[in-house]
Amino acid sequence: MSGIDVDLAVNGLITGVFYALMAIGLSLIFGILKIVNFAHGEFYMVGAYAYTLIALALGVPVWIALPLAFVVGALLGWLTERTLMRPLYAGYTSWGLMRDEYAVIVTFGLSLFLINFVDKVIGPYAYRGPPLVETSRVVLGPVLISGHRLLAAGIAIAVIAVTAALIKWSFWGQQIRAVSQNRLGASLAGIDTAKASVIVFMLSGGLAAFAGALLSPVINASPDVGIFPAIKSYIIVVLGGMGSVPGAIIASLFLGVIESFGAVYISFQYRDAFGLILLMLFLLFRPQGLFGEKGREV
Amino acid sequence: MAPSSATSPAGNRSGVQLSNTKTTVEFRAALVAMAIVALIPLGVSNPYWLGVLIVSMYFAILAGAWNLLAGYTGQFSLAPATFAMIGAYTTGLLNHYFGVPPLLGIVAAVVVSGLVGLLLGRAVLRLVGPYLALTTLSFAEIMRLVASNSIDITRGDLGLGVAGLLDSRIGWYYLFLGALVVLLILFYMLLRSKAGLFLQAIRDDEVAARRAGVNVVFWKTTAFAISAAASGFAGALYAHFAELVTPELGLIGQTGLIVSMTVIGGMGTLAGPVVAAFLVYVLSEWLRDVGGYQLVVFAALVVIFARFFREGLWGLARAAVQRWGRA
Repeated sequence: MSGIDVDLAVNGLITGVFYALMAIGLSLIFGILKIVNFAHGEFYMVGAYAYTLIALALGVPVWIALPLAFVVGALLGWLTERTLMRPLYAGYTSWGLMRDEYAVIVTFGLSLFLINFVDKVIGPYAYRGPPLVETSRVVLGPVLISGHRLLAAGIAIAVIAVTAALIKWSFWGQQIRAVSQNRLGASLAGIDTAKASVIVFMLSGGLAAFAGALLSPVINASPDVGIFPAIKSYIIVVLGGMGSVPGAIIASLFLGVIESFGAVYISFQYRDAFGLILLMLFLLFRPQGLFGEKGREV
Repeated sequence: MAPSSATSPAGNRSGVQLSNTKTTVEFRAALVAMAIVALIPLGVSNPYWLGVLIVSMYFAILAGAWNLLAGYTGQFSLAPATFAMIGAYTTGLLNHYFGVPPLLGIVAAVVVSGLVGLLLGRAVLRLVGPYLALTTLSFAEIMRLVASNSIDITRGDLGLGVAGLLDSRIGWYYLFLGALVVLLILFYMLLRSKAGLFLQAIRDDEVAARRAGVNVVFWKTTAFAISAAASGFAGALYAHFAELVTPELGLIGQTGLIVSMTVIGGMGTLAGPVVAAFLVYVLSEWLRDVGGYQLVVFAALVVIFARFFREGLWGLARAAVQRWGRA
């Protein structure tokens, strides 16, 4: 492995860490409600704007703006759950058996709404968020990396670790996993499924917004900035198995590295197409993903 | 047709009649709306607004085609705009490189997009809900990336110039209107036949439909192919109207517009999506002048309609008529 390969691998892994922040939330939502949130990328976009505007327009220090972005994303997640998702399991839509279709339409509509709302209220221009540290280049052996990216990746790893631990060991985490495994069984055991679903949406929105905030100095927030990260997260949850958190983390790192090498060694123009082709092939031939449980029946 | 239930005691037969009556009422309403659209050029000669109405008709065809697939068969593809793009590129490339005349190119576009739809429909047969939406979404993005990155062939985002077909805007207006009316008639005939019942049976309960003897594989694939062919037809017509084909035809935002029109008009109703396409597009041109809030308004309407009024404007109008009739 030459120097450039090490550099590509490390940078790919770091990209993968940011993908994981997005994908965990999406996977949790799929686990608990068996739907795909097509507005997930917009949580990311809102997080990037929240961080940038709070830090730049209000002059709040970046270390306070960062958790605030998480809070904004969590609030948006809460609002989405209460107004649009609750009918899915509380049984008061007019859609009857077509709950999947309702979820597709309503989250797709929410995504369009948030993109265009931000476009009109804040404007279509890209905003660059303030970096956490000003160090422009850190050299670690053959690896070249910006100071902000390194620090952001460190924070992201910490947040992912805390999230994974909470889901695995905390009381609420166990309840969430119980609802994912068997909603009816969980509710018979006295678990408040509505509350579990609210927590998942708040966590999911918060994590996606946090990812947007961490990357805002790099991505330049614009209204449609969430579309590609969202598509990446769809690829990841399908690869990792819908609903599986460890699967999502492993698939994120995998996709980050694949894209990093593919862009250099295969084709830069089509780097976004590789993942999509992988997504289609997996959905068609192995919908349970690499790590998911085989259980889906039509 | 035999008059109402007083003379027909059979439960299942009255179910068939109900469905047909509902479709017939919707079809008549759609024809009345199209007749009004046909009269508009008598009062409006401004080429800008005629152009807006022509684009509305393009979207009306796409919304009608997507409604057949999503509203009547329950297959939520997120690639309707992509089939329009495929149709547009089929005739565009044939015309640009081989000098194929537009009319022949449009026929080729219908065939090619129908075939691609058949293949995709066959491939996604077992996928439901979120899986189907994700697969078709990635298909849409891959196709768009291919169209915009194959710069040597398609000239990428710059767009491909193609020959025009008619000189007068009024001519285009009635060509699009004619195409829309013909498609409406075809959809009506399809839905009134047994096939229409099969499609709706599959939507309501695929397993039960199969148990009752419906060839689910055949009808799901056929609905996909018909919807794709109609979308490709609209795309090909549009290509010669605009005299330019770009990957923008296949943007997710275009699919968003088609979905908005269908949901606002009323999914699974023949007239709703087609009429809503005019309302949404004309209103959006007007809102563009007022302050550009059109997409915010429509996206909000999609969420609100999906959440509270599943049957859309058509359902609201029908409820209003019923209430008025009772009073």
